[in-house]
Amino acid sequence: MQWSEEARDGAIIACPVGRVDESTAQAFVEALVASVDRAAGIPAKTLVLDLAALEYMSSRGLRALTLAKRKADGTALPIILAAPNAVIREILAISRYDKLFTVVDTVAEAL
Amino acid sequence: MLVRFWGTRGSLPVAQPAKAIRGKVARALVAAGGRRFADQDEAEAFIDRELDFATGNSYGGNSTCVEIEAGDGAFIVCDLGSGLREFGLDALRRCADGHERTYHVFMSHLHWDHIMGFPFFAPAFDPGARIIIHAGHDDAEQALRRQQEEISFPVAFDWLRAKIEFVTLAPGTVYTIGGVQVELMEQQHSHRSFGYRFTDAEGKITIFSTDSEHKIEKMIGEADVADFFRNADLVICDTMYSLAESVSMKEDWGHSSNIVAIDLCRQGAAKRLALFHHEPTYSDDDIQRMHRESIRYEELTRQDRPLEVLCAYDGLELRL
Repeated sequence: MQWSEEARDGAIIACPVGRVDESTAQAFVEALVASVDRAAGIPAKTLVLDLAALEYMSSRGLRALTLAKRKADGTALPIILAAPNAVIREILAISRYDKLFTVVDTVAEAL
Repeated sequence: MLVRFWGTRGSLPVAQPAKAIRGKVARALVAAGGRRFADQDEAEAFIDRELDFATGNSYGGNSTCVEIEAGDGAFIVCDLGSGLREFGLDALRRCADGHERTYHVFMSHLHWDHIMGFPFFAPAFDPGARIIIHAGHDDAEQALRRQQEEISFPVAFDWLRAKIEFVTLAPGTVYTIGGVQVELMEQQHSHRSFGYRFTDAEGKITIFSTDSEHKIEKMIGEADVADFFRNADLVICDTMYSLAESVSMKEDWGHSSNIVAIDLCRQGAAKRLALFHHEPTYSDDDIQRMHRESIRYEELTRQDRPLEVLCAYDGLELRL
């Protein structure tokens, strides 16, 4: 899975690309947890997960978000989900994950 | 293979209060818009054609009991929840018509909602009946006897007239029971639970997987669950909570979600999923909403072949 990060306005913005399904879930978990570790180590004020380039996320991807959040909560690092496409936004609603995470339309809103 | 649902509710049986029925009738009358119906058949045709399921029907309120018609003529039943009472009365009627009086019971686990129907199981009073209770637990007999001790129930277990046997099964072994191939898999639940895979002589496969929590820490290792579900014609799966609930406030409560069930069925190339073990606090409208959202999730995430997503209700029959 392609993954990039940038630092902006005291936050770390992580950008996964592609799909999170059974074949990519492990890589997604590892990359996400690594981003949490780096953001907490700085320490950044927020970890923003920019979902704009993510096509779809299965339950593995959603549960990976929970694993990351548990790790982040240990260091009081907020995680914000930004720019989900319409499919992922619906999946977040159906799974009720929009009740567990702050979801915003743009990265700018998360900063 | 025919699967018949006698109880689909989790944790506790529930009953519709008068207010809920009144609401359904009112919605139906509004939908009818002043139309007249010549007879009950016409009215029921209107219900089927024009009313949503929650308005024109009910998902029911009995706790877990599922019958599988397959094999060599014996009854096959999964769990002994409150739905067992009605199954028992129906079974007696079929026995009066010549059905064999042997019952193979398969227990997912021994929690109250999955055993509470047994004291009301009329065939247990039939001296000509043989009831074989199969379980992955070796304390199934203790659980059933205990609920019929005098402090809890006025009829003692030893007063039951049927020949009742207990057999402990083990995961990893393929059994032939009642003419059906049976396998079981241990699941995550308090005091453990077991899922079952039933294969009949024609190769039709039903999975019964209730009261199973798919722990977030073990999600990468879920290939074993998907393999257990492989190529199933029907997967009956615990979908009691939303995914968010199952990883937060209801973590470790021993149940799963519609989202995970759909993903596991898809991974195992199952054909059909029946949402099951409905939350007792859910109204029919809540269950219908969950069903519609599940169908939508399947549509959003479909890669190739569609997975049919059904919602189990008391009285549903599925011929595979």
